[in-house]
Parts: sequence; C-alpha cells; structure tokens
Amino acid sequence: MKRLTFWGAVGTVLAKDFRTELRSKQTLVTMLFFGLVLVFVFAFGFVNDAAANRRAYPGALWGALLFTGSLCVGRTFARESEADAFSALMLAPVDRSAVLLAKMIFNALLIILVMALVAPVLAMMLRVDIMSHGGMIAALIALGCAGFSVVGTPMAVLAVNARFAEVLLPMVVFPMVTPVIIAGVKGTGVLLGTTIGNDVSPWIQFLGAYVLCFALAGVFLFDRMVTE
Amino acid sequence: MKPFPIFVAIAAVALVVAHYLIFVVVPMEVRMGPVQRIFYFHVPSAMMCYLGFVLCFFGSLGYLFKRKTKMDLFALAGAEVGLLFGFVVLVSGPIWARIEWGTWWKWEPRLTSMLLLVLIFAAYWVLRTYGGRGEGVRRFAAVLAIFGTPNILFVRSAVKKWRGDHPDNVVDTLDPDMKGTFYACMLILLLLFSLLMILRYRMHRDARTAQAIRRRLGRLGGL
Repeated sequence: MKRLTFWGAVGTVLAKDFRTELRSKQTLVTMLFFGLVLVFVFAFGFVNDAAANRRAYPGALWGALLFTGSLCVGRTFARESEADAFSALMLAPVDRSAVLLAKMIFNALLIILVMALVAPVLAMMLRVDIMSHGGMIAALIALGCAGFSVVGTPMAVLAVNARFAEVLLPMVVFPMVTPVIIAGVKGTGVLLGTTIGNDVSPWIQFLGAYVLCFALAGVFLFDRMVTE
Repeated sequence: MKPFPIFVAIAAVALVVAHYLIFVVVPMEVRMGPVQRIFYFHVPSAMMCYLGFVLCFFGSLGYLFKRKTKMDLFALAGAEVGLLFGFVVLVSGPIWARIEWGTWWKWEPRLTSMLLLVLIFAAYWVLRTYGGRGEGVRRFAAVLAIFGTPNILFVRSAVKKWRGDHPDNVVDTLDPDMKGTFYACMLILLLLFSLLMILRYRMHRDARTAQAIRRRLGRLGGL
C-alpha cells in the first residue's frame, strides 16, 4: 500500500470527518440550533433603537461565535471515542500533526458554516444592514472561526483526559482567544461605523497572523502533546 | 541550623523592613500623595508575577519534552506563586487607579494583558486542582501554559489600538530615596517569591511521594 503524504493524510481524515458528519449531522444540527437560540436570546436582550442595535451587533455576533465554537471543538473527539478510534488514529502510520491539522480545518469549516447562518439571522433580528460590507464581515468571521479552531482543537484533544472537561474547556479556551474576539468585535465595529477608525485591514492581518502562529505551534507541538 | 529556617527568618525581617521603608523612609509624592506608596509593592509584584509565569512556561516546555516530574512540579509552583502576586497587582492597581484616574479600571493594554494573563493561569490552577491527577491533565496544563504565555503578546497588540495611559518606565524619573526603596522592595519580594516557590515545590513533591507510597501499600494489600 502506498504511504500517505502529510497533505494526503490531512485530506483523508478531513474527508472521513465530513462523511461521518454528513451521515449523522449531529454536531452541525446541534450547533445550528444552539446558534439560533443564542440569536433569540441576544435579540430579546439587546433589541432597541437602530443605533443601539448597530452597536450591539458585533458583540452579539462574536459572542455567538464563541459559544457555538466551544460546542464544536468540545465534540471534536467525541466522534473518535467509539471503539477507541482515537488510539487507532494515533497509531496510523501518518504524521500525527496531520490528524490535528485536519481536525482544525474541519472544526473551522463547521463553525464557519454555522456562522454563515447565524450572522445574517442576527442581523435580521436586530435590523442591522450587514450586506453593504458583507464580504469584509465574512472574511473577519471566517478568520475568527479559524482562530477559534486552531486554539480550541488542540485544547479539546487534551481536555479528554481531564475531569469536568466540558466546563474546563471553555474556561481555558475563552481567555486564550480573547485577541480573536477583540479583533473581531473591533473590526466588525469599524465596518458598521460604530468603532473609531475606517480601515479594517489591520484587524484582518492581525487575525491572519494569530491563525498562522497558533496553527503552527499546535502542529509542531502535537506529537509531544499526545505521546503515551 | 538548617539553611531554610534562616532563609524564612531573613524574609520575615525583610518584609518588616520593606514596610518601614515604604511608610516611614520614603518621601511623600507631591502630586499623588499617600496612594503613590502602593507603587513599591505594585510594580515589584507585577515583576514577580511575570517571573512566576515565565518559570511555569519553561517548566512546562521542559516537561512536555523531557517528561520529568520535577519540571512539572516546578511549573505548578511557578504558576501558583505567580498567580498570588498577580492578585496583589490586580487588587493594588485599581486602588491606585481610583485615586489617580478616577476609575477602578481602564481597558488599556497593560491592564488587559495582566488580567488575561492572570485569567489564563487561574484556569491553569483550576485545571491542576480540580481536573484530576493523571498524566493527561499535566500535559493539558503544560500546553495551556505554553500557548498562554506568548498569547499575551497578541492581547497587548490587540488592545494597543485603544491607546494606553498606564505609566511606563517611571523608575528612572524617581527621587533617589524612592529609587532606593523601590529596588529594596524588588529584592525583598524576590526573596519572598523564592521562599514561596521552594515551599510550594516541596509541598507538591512530598504530596506526590505520599501518593506513590499509598498506592504501593494499596497494591501490597496492606494497612
């Protein structure tokens, strides 16, 4: 049998995860419902006059990303818990960091998918026009989801060993992703005209650098993290 | 006499001396008044907090690569003592800010990064205390410390856009008496830091040994 290259392994694990998710849809559907429930909660909490809604939108949007994201990364390895599939995955003759990278990409894509629904619904509920800056807001959200995933995914792998993992994981990940939240909220605010500044590109670059740094750190350290 | 009790005695006397220096020797700051005296504990505590977290960072890095229990215990002690000094900073800072800035808190780079650093290591501590004792938890904590410490650079650069007004590098502008007290306090807190570090390290080491003995006894079916 031909040995898989690094990217081959990433693709294989990614394809496998998509296939299982498409069959069961459990993570995606739970995240979507959770995201929509959050939207309603935020709408009840914040709906006000147009200017106040505009100011509340970035915070509500990135808060929703944080909560749905932690639901997503928390379930990363639930898929592998049956029949000790995780050990099999670790024993596979491929680079372990390829497995982590695939999981990071998968989680990022899943959160992006959910946010692609949550962001416009939240905008409708709060009656905020995001379409005039749709592309830029989408870029910010996509990078934000990637930022959340590159930090949250390795943490989720490790949290499997801890007690109270479902409580500990957000407690550990939320302070870690604060830079993502700050950049996201401020960047969105700049686009909506509620934050001082007229250029969103520094925030986009900042998010890009964050994603790159933590993805690399995770990939390089992963072998050390899971050695038994 | 053993060296450690002497060390404790010196640290105790030094702490009394520090208070004497701060409240009696040092001249009153003209503009800020008595609240400025917080500075002599506030800034050195921040340094000790950073020191503790940096030690935790290197201990964790060492643990992840060498898997030596010693390094893990060292990292844990560093995080705990750093956290203690972090709380001193986060309590003394707002008291000073209330008088000087008229508000308890500002979302300013240095304050925000300090708060998040303390939050990350508080998470580290909760994880170590309540997350279980296994090897996996230690690895989780090590990765948290390794990811968390450099993350502060990101936090700082993110908040920089809000422009800070936390005083920077004031030590050079100080009156000689103030400078002397400041450096004395720095040394005294370093002494206290080392003392606490040794105590915590020994405590965790002994707890680990006791645990191992208990486990062995259990296996022998004894007691």
